Amino acid sequence: MLMGDKGCRRADRVTRRSVLAGAAALAATSCGPRSASPPLRFWATSYEGDYAPHLMTAFTAATGIEVDVQSIPSTAAHEKMLTAFAGDALPDVFALPSGWIGEFQMIGALAPVPSPDYVADVLPPALALAQVKGRNFAVPWSAAPQVQFYRRDLLRDAGYETPPDTWEAWREMGRTIKRRRPDEFVFLTLLNWPDTLFSMLYQTGMTMLRDQDTRGNFRSPEAESAFAFYLSLFTENLAPRALSTEVQDAFAAFAQGRYAVWPSWPSLLLDLHRRRAEIPRERWGVARLAGPKGPGPTAMIASNVVVSARTAQPQAAWALVRHLTSTATELRFQQLIGNLPARASAWASPQLQMPVLRPFAEQMRQPAMAPKIVEWERIQIEVQLVAERVVRGLLTIPHALAAIDGRVDQILAKRRALVEAGRIA
Amino acid sequence: MGRRRTRAIVANSLVALLTAVTLVPLVWMVTVSFMPRGASSQFPPPFWPERWSWENYYELLVRREIDGAWFDYRVLPALGNSLLIAVLATVLGLLLTIPAGYAFAKLRFTGRERLLKLLIAGLVVPGQVAMLPLFLLFKELGLVNSYAGVILPGLAGIFSVLFVRQAALAIPDEMLDAARLDGASEARIFRSIVLPLLAPITVTLALFLFLGSWNDFLWPLIVLTDQHKYTLPVAVAAIVREHAQDGELMMAASVVTTLPVLLIFLPLQRYYISGLLGGSIKG
Amino acid sequence: MSSQERTAWLFTAPVLAIIVAVLVLPVTLALALSLTDYSIYALADWDNVRFVGLGNFQELLRTALFWRALANTALFAVLGVPMAIGASLGAALLLHDTTVRWKALWRVALFAPYVTSVVATAVVWRFLLNTRFGLINYALSWLGLPPVDWLGDPHASIPAILLFVTWKIFGYNMIVFTAALSAVPQDLMEAARLDGASRWGRFRHVTLPAIGPTLLLASVMSVAGFLQIFAEPYVMTLGGPAQSTVTVLYFMFDEGFKWWNLGQASAVALILFVLILTITFVETRIGKRNQWL
Repeated sequence: MLMGDKGCRRADRVTRRSVLAGAAALAATSCGPRSASPPLRFWATSYEGDYAPHLMTAFTAATGIEVDVQSIPSTAAHEKMLTAFAGDALPDVFALPSGWIGEFQMIGALAPVPSPDYVADVLPPALALAQVKGRNFAVPWSAAPQVQFYRRDLLRDAGYETPPDTWEAWREMGRTIKRRRPDEFVFLTLLNWPDTLFSMLYQTGMTMLRDQDTRGNFRSPEAESAFAFYLSLFTENLAPRALSTEVQDAFAAFAQGRYAVWPSWPSLLLDLHRRRAEIPRERWGVARLAGPKGPGPTAMIASNVVVSARTAQPQAAWALVRHLTSTATELRFQQLIGNLPARASAWASPQLQMPVLRPFAEQMRQPAMAPKIVEWERIQIEVQLVAERVVRGLLTIPHALAAIDGRVDQILAKRRALVEAGRIA
Repeated sequence: MGRRRTRAIVANSLVALLTAVTLVPLVWMVTVSFMPRGASSQFPPPFWPERWSWENYYELLVRREIDGAWFDYRVLPALGNSLLIAVLATVLGLLLTIPAGYAFAKLRFTGRERLLKLLIAGLVVPGQVAMLPLFLLFKELGLVNSYAGVILPGLAGIFSVLFVRQAALAIPDEMLDAARLDGASEARIFRSIVLPLLAPITVTLALFLFLGSWNDFLWPLIVLTDQHKYTLPVAVAAIVREHAQDGELMMAASVVTTLPVLLIFLPLQRYYISGLLGGSIKG
Repeated sequence: MSSQERTAWLFTAPVLAIIVAVLVLPVTLALALSLTDYSIYALADWDNVRFVGLGNFQELLRTALFWRALANTALFAVLGVPMAIGASLGAALLLHDTTVRWKALWRVALFAPYVTSVVATAVVWRFLLNTRFGLINYALSWLGLPPVDWLGDPHASIPAILLFVTWKIFGYNMIVFTAALSAVPQDLMEAARLDGASRWGRFRHVTLPAIGPTLLLASVMSVAGFLQIFAEPYVMTLGGPAQSTVTVLYFMFDEGFKWWNLGQASAVALILFVLILTITFVETRIGKRNQWL
């Protein structure tokens, strides 16, 4: 028994380098009784974590490998994963948003994707988001571009079939709706959700960082216009001065008609399905977000599956990645939680031809490319914090943009030093 | 007499009112936890469930699949972890600090006074200063994400040592010297004379340690990364961050976290409160 | 070595060793760490760590959020200590009244919140403070007052959290004060009564001097406690709205464990340490001058 285990582990190590791990390959190298190996550990956030166990049944049935799924809160995911890495407690496989791949790759947390065929069929924008300097450390799982969900009934009452696609007209629609329903808001964008503001910034086509991504570049007319537009939604009372901790149930608020437009993600499709009793299908629709002169690139969160560099079971881990990112599994996940597949072949499926998905598909062809630096996650949060202060009347826009540049330069000081020393590119 | 009577009525009803206000959050926590999902989100807020329902507890502790989603809050394992960690922290804490406190009070050894001064000075060091390097140390030692990693920092019980010392000071020296003259070993003196005398404050200290460990949040939050090892407060904080809209469910989680300590505290409150008085007056 | 001495070392060595390992050593290391730029880049490669002298401290002084965290924490202490001590003293005086019956029962009930978990009760209070469906705004509506956006208005968030904290901790000092009150010399009290001193006069000139030391000790400890607030904003507000509830410790946690700037975070921890030390020192000096200690 003991001998068998040792031999098994050695085989693992050899194959890690040479063999393209896959469910089939794994089935061929049978290693003693299945129950003897510890279950694979898998982490994901929010719905992906809540529903992932459904994807594991097929995997366990095919390979005999048990998977222990943990769903971690998205607001605490970053620190959980970093401390887990530092404490050598990362799971074998985990889901990582594209913005964090560079960071986790740099600290050495990620195993490189063993073969290009893992990502062969992935949509180019999703792959572009996931790659680090052209190398693959993550297999894209789903792509979530920001779009808007709107209340058909409320818009129709105000004389709109669909939301207009330029900022000016979009805001004008907001005013019209507000006039008819002065006690309610129009846009559901909360003060600690950075993505709507960032979509607006991306739509202006601005470059947010300069000098090899070592300094802030927010003091620009583009940023000013995006901030001014963002601010106007609040000063005109079209959006609430509220944080997510206050709006206890944003979905219920949308369903009760307290908001007419919700810039959000594909994951909302799941809520709309699960809670269809609260808001019937015919009352909502999806459209691309309005831009300064028509739709443009918006924030996109791509979810990826990665393998920990220190996993003890690389073969099984990669087999799980293969399973999770297969066309069939991605389609199943789409059905379950609305996640949009990252695999191109999945989009050929009739399941994805539903009209409601068309805005997502269009938006996905125009993703915004966030700077791939370790500090980006933090910069986004800090920019939003400054924006919140602008909305609350504590700062003017020019002061805010100067403050952002100052803060960004501060955050990037270490990176700047390392770039100047030639230690990182 | 009439004035005294009025005063009695006023004072007693004021106390009763204050107590009622203080207990409202706890009672409300319990009643809401028995309301069906969504029932508490109304105005005016209901205080009493129209229909008593176990569904929140069922979902929290038992049920795993809701609308096709798997919700495994791992509350029962967290309860187990909390119990295990609190019991271990209490037992080890007692084993470490009771002899030490006695030694500082009654045994003569070189450097005693100086050490004592250092210990008292150490009381003002906030534990958080040590946390960051401690994490790096534990990382090197492989103690991150382990029960030992959670328990160890709590064992540096300066307060406990001083607390025991304070109580042990009251033991008459003649009693110990008499035993020594009779040829009893120090270990024997400790076991058969000192320990029985310290029994009441041992209960007090055990309560302090248990509650302290049970309610500890920041360090377990940092050092535990695997949900299977979460303690209750960490697990509840994680659930709140993700499922805050489910008010009734959150209340059930709070009840599960609060109830065990109240059950332990209530019968033993006499020890707790008397210990608190002893410590604070002389301290 | 005498047998007593040997036993003493046997008894004290284990706990002293642990104190050195988990307190003395880390605090020393924190000092060292605060002089380096240990960051996430160091997690990748130790060679990326540099000695920066007091750079972290200078950097902190330039960081607006750090100042905001300091100001918020100060506000927590400045408002919270009188609130909590006042509530404790009020409750203790009430309980001390000779006409009050079932004292033990009230005492336990009023003390109960203290032993509960901060996280669990913070969850409860988040709902109590809810703008639309919370009991507190409902109670305000009974009094004809408009609803308060407790956790959403940057000006109301700290008072809201303080309401919770006061509720949670006042029982502790209440017990301490009850004990101190029962030690107030009765003959002095009687003499003052015979001199015709008013209730307030008796409180001011007899009770207060007698419980002065206890009051001082309690407030020293409360200040230290309020400077270390973390779990409440972590659970109730995530530091918002507009960072109005980011405390020094919350800032340290984010800086250290969220962004992994351990150098910077250690500097924060040390500043907190110095603050606590200074305040404790000043308060005990004041106490000594007034001969309370």
